[in-house]
Amino acid sequence: MLRTSPQLSLSLPLIIHTPHTSPPRHLPFFSPPRSSIDIHLLLLPGDHRFRPSPSLKRPHDSPSGGDTDEMYDDLLDKYGKVVFTRKDQKSPIAEADDDAESLSFAVALAEVACEVKAADIKVLFVKPLVYWTRFFIIATAFSRPQIDALGSKLRDMAEKKFKKIASGDNKPNSWTLLDFGDVVVHIFLPQQRAFYNLEEFYGNAIPIELPFDSQSPFRN
Amino acid sequence: MIQTQTHLNVADNSGARELMCIRILGASNRRYAHIGDVIVAVIKEAVPNMPLQRSEVIRAVIVRTCKELKRDNGMIIRYDDNAAVVIDQEGNPKGTRVFGAIARELRQLNFTKIVSLAPEVL
Repeated sequence: MLRTSPQLSLSLPLIIHTPHTSPPRHLPFFSPPRSSIDIHLLLLPGDHRFRPSPSLKRPHDSPSGGDTDEMYDDLLDKYGKVVFTRKDQKSPIAEADDDAESLSFAVALAEVACEVKAADIKVLFVKPLVYWTRFFIIATAFSRPQIDALGSKLRDMAEKKFKKIASGDNKPNSWTLLDFGDVVVHIFLPQQRAFYNLEEFYGNAIPIELPFDSQSPFRN
Repeated sequence: MIQTQTHLNVADNSGARELMCIRILGASNRRYAHIGDVIVAVIKEAVPNMPLQRSEVIRAVIVRTCKELKRDNGMIIRYDDNAAVVIDQEGNPKGTRVFGAIARELRQLNFTKIVSLAPEVL
């Protein structure tokens, strides 16, 4: 389906691997995040650089079919070699600072959503799953005017307190999305929330505990 | 390079299988559409017992093209197929999941909903 650019076309099998984060194993939709890309080169039998060792399990040797991800991880650890590393990687401390800043922003947004009586607010830390954002906020509103109020309040708060401007939907929509860069807010009508079922798709994301009760006591 | 009469695969679970482009939206006499452009298309083939039927006219966003997509940093992305995701008039996807790898340019073009449903973003 995908061809890599000519610079990356190699005759050897190429595996893009992120060693610092473990990808979700049992969710087939997700691939490892690509925020920090290291390209490892995996040498296979037939290549003259390959030295078979007695402890190495070949794919068809494993009795139960094996966990291919773990097998590839082992192979990478033993025979992998970094051939390309992105240069714009941040230090772990700077990353943690950015995470903390985004977290406080996400929690502030969730609090505003709670004030406008949005129901079932969930904040998910999706950075280990996707590289393009850090936090998802998923909330349910019960009518288009409420979505409109919620969207404009969130935009106002973000602009005044955090100086962030959202892209995404300007008009109230049955699935309104506000994209603040590191935080993406999804506001659904109840029907659409059940239809798209984003929580299930991002089931491996880490849910963040909120300091307030996000369940609406009145409506279900 | 999608033009009218181009056939495209459908990269979601909306129920359509194959589309034919009949109009490119955005300008009055536009010749080609690329990744992230909205087209009007007709469903040429559909999965049975799904809400979308054959010969229905819908809107779709192009998510993959055989024509190379160039980035400023020199990266070139080229896919094996032309594929699109069916959307409604408001821009919400009609399917609930997107299949295959899609490009991050869609996010800049305000199709973050499609990006958030995709399994892999390049």
